[in-house]
Amino acid sequence: MSDNADLYDGDGIMDSLPISSEVTYNWVDITGDFFKHIQDLQLGELLHDGHLFGLFEAMSAIEMMDPKMDAGMLCNRGNSKPLNFQQAVKAGTLKIDNIEPNELIGIIDATTACIVSWLEGHSLAQTVFTNLYLHQPHSIVNRTLKAYCIAVYKLLDCIRDCINKAQVFEEEDFQPMGYGYRLGSNPQMGVTNCDPSQEVNEQKCIAMLREQEEELNKKARSAGDESTDCWTGLAARIRLTRMLYQALLLITRRDSQAGADCVALLNGCSEMMKVVLKTAPLGTQPHENSDTPNPMGFEPQINQRLLPPTFPRYTKIKPRTEALQYVDELVARLRHAWKITSAPNFHTALDFFMDFSRQRACILSRSALQLLYLSPSPATTASMAQSAMNCPVGTPRPHHVFVEILRESVRDFVNPPALSAKSPMPTTPQSAMNCPVGTPRPHHVFVEILRESVRDFVNPPALSAKSPMPTTPQAREFVENFLARCVRPFAVLLQVCGHNRARQRDKLALLLDEFAALQEERDKLALLLDEFAALQEEAESVDAVVSGAAGTAPRACFGTWLLYHVLRIMVAYLLSGLELELYSVHEYHYIYWYLYEFLFGWLVSALGRATSLAAEGASRTDGKKGGCRKKRRGRPGARELLMCQIMQNMCGGYYKALVAFKLQGKIKTPLSQFDNEAVRYKHRFSPLAVLTPPQVHYHEYCEMTQPMQYENPVILYMGGCKHFLQARSLLETITVPDQEVQDLLKVCKTNFVVLKLLAGGHKRESTTPPEFDFSVHRHFPIIKLV
Amino acid sequence: MSNTAVLDTTSDSTKDIDVTDGKAKLMKWLNMNFRVEITDGRVLIGVFLCTDRDANVILGACSEYLKNSDGETEEPRVLGLVMVPGRHIVSIQIDDTTPPQKYFYDE
Repeated sequence: MSDNADLYDGDGIMDSLPISSEVTYNWVDITGDFFKHIQDLQLGELLHDGHLFGLFEAMSAIEMMDPKMDAGMLCNRGNSKPLNFQQAVKAGTLKIDNIEPNELIGIIDATTACIVSWLEGHSLAQTVFTNLYLHQPHSIVNRTLKAYCIAVYKLLDCIRDCINKAQVFEEEDFQPMGYGYRLGSNPQMGVTNCDPSQEVNEQKCIAMLREQEEELNKKARSAGDESTDCWTGLAARIRLTRMLYQALLLITRRDSQAGADCVALLNGCSEMMKVVLKTAPLGTQPHENSDTPNPMGFEPQINQRLLPPTFPRYTKIKPRTEALQYVDELVARLRHAWKITSAPNFHTALDFFMDFSRQRACILSRSALQLLYLSPSPATTASMAQSAMNCPVGTPRPHHVFVEILRESVRDFVNPPALSAKSPMPTTPQSAMNCPVGTPRPHHVFVEILRESVRDFVNPPALSAKSPMPTTPQAREFVENFLARCVRPFAVLLQVCGHNRARQRDKLALLLDEFAALQEERDKLALLLDEFAALQEEAESVDAVVSGAAGTAPRACFGTWLLYHVLRIMVAYLLSGLELELYSVHEYHYIYWYLYEFLFGWLVSALGRATSLAAEGASRTDGKKGGCRKKRRGRPGARELLMCQIMQNMCGGYYKALVAFKLQGKIKTPLSQFDNEAVRYKHRFSPLAVLTPPQVHYHEYCEMTQPMQYENPVILYMGGCKHFLQARSLLETITVPDQEVQDLLKVCKTNFVVLKLLAGGHKRESTTPPEFDFSVHRHFPIIKLV
Repeated sequence: MSNTAVLDTTSDSTKDIDVTDGKAKLMKWLNMNFRVEITDGRVLIGVFLCTDRDANVILGACSEYLKNSDGETEEPRVLGLVMVPGRHIVSIQIDDTTPPQKYFYDE
């Protein structure tokens, strides 16, 4: 930040820079001559110095007066020089005492609008720090405003901390630059004059806000009818600021005992937001067509000098009502994100992450979700796992203290038979007490989460307590090593789910590479486990059932678990292309074909295999106890299996419909001289190439779909129709349909009717391309005939 | 590479054969400082690099000057390479550097 020292004085006085090398020009007007001379040029002819400047360079020029490229054109009314805090106070345009409550509401709401604009990706200097009061909060006499301004600093710091820790932002989401404003402990801007006596710590800041709350509530009670609402509204704003700050502190810093507190705080925030929204019209409102979000206290140009020269001159601050709405929704999203803390296992958590991302949450709630699930964050977990892997071979990995805690807490949640009390692994029940529901899991525990995930999914003998396998130290070590290798890819997977939707696709493609490496590792593990099982069989005369299971299952168990996740990522990758509108209509058919013929099919069989393996594992352990208890809950996998079958059917429906459209010439394809389907196919599926199951190549695609080319379109439409009907009847078996199911149902019903019409010869001769409407569902469009 | 070479030779040859009077004048102005005022009141100062029949002007290393209400000019904003559409040009001035240079040589 010291680099700003020479740009900006500590006391905030904005003098123009000393004009160092004054250039004197000798301007001669040539307007007339110029416009006369250009008449001699041919139409389309460029006059330029051919050696230094050509058409290529010309292409990269910014076009002036083009609203998209010319950032300076929107706001070029001549403004007077911006006044800084002291100048504005002296000039009487900035009140620091005797501020009316409606003015305070105006200032606070405008600041909120600035914070929201910042959270939407604008720079701090052009949003929040256009508020002059924030430049010198300690010079404000009004105690309410002073406390609020100091709290804003703390709040900004906390938000930035949260977002930085989670590492799920890109430049379009968030700008962490502070521009020399010292966030956090000392709300004083500038570097030169930090006064240690003005240090405000968290407790002091919260205490200041509390004090103001009480005072404002008193004023509200004693005031006359008219101003009561104003004071109440003001008190609500101060309370909201305090509670939001405290809640974010808990999310970011993580005191383990604070689970219930955080929920209460967020609920309180929602309550306060109701009052805030109701009292918003009472505050001073910005002038119409003005750039400042409030008549008093804001100076949009004040930080211009801190920004790079090509930066836009102004940032449009979000309108106040929209901003307050945003905060209200933000609080609701944070409350929803909190639910991750009670996710019983990794699969539920992963589903939650994906679902959360689907709702296109804001950067702050996405970051909060990351931090709430793993402490410090999946990003940190991933990088720590990476550095642990880079340790030289033979270095013992640090022992994870929290491993046992989690084992215990997971047992409380799901009670898988494999983790029966007689487990040979050391358990420390009392330590589990230290890990109440709602505590974010420390990162060491991620290995345990994954272990639980495998165990829950397929219940391999190697992880089962009763099997002889874990007692073999070597076998156990191999399993541990494998799980440790899993940490990074799976932590990154969670992190990717936190990124914005558009960025997820590329990151998924990169992640597939990591999973490919993991699959190699898994193959090694399977071989080793097989060997051990064989050795064991020779050495001991074990119960036939157990040895049989131990001999065959290990390869399948870890493989199935990993395959399931790889397939899910592949599906997510292909579907994201539809959501982001990357494919053109003439490409749809092989995308849906791939999903229908392979990915969803494989997923269905992986889930089926997992269920049977898990059941096998359960009977293995339970059987020895004489089948005393069968505690396994209804598997959540059942619904997932159903959803996969539904989507497989839908993809089949689209595929057949698309082939039929093609045969009837209803789909525009590129002219053959510009077209190479093989190249496009290869490009679309290239990230899938590194993995098992191997990619299905273009020539295979051609061979497999060859017979379709001679099919009667009517039969294809009928086939598609059947698929949608099947999907629909499967959807209708779901007893508690959520929004997703209802949307899919709507799509299935409509497409069924459309394909039925087409099969009946409706618009057979028309070559107008059908429309694909993604407004109901992001991946599965409604087919429309126009 | 070969393409540009061809381009260069053709432009050279046209220059030799018939460079009309206007074109020659424009050629002389290339790589000189231009001060272009545009329709919204901003003033752009940069190096004249390119133009065409519609008076679209490309300026290199361009800075944007705004006038505020008092008529005094603010600090410039550096824009780099810009293209000013001809229809938005109000006036063009050129930095005539000949007299000081002459003076320098005389001395």
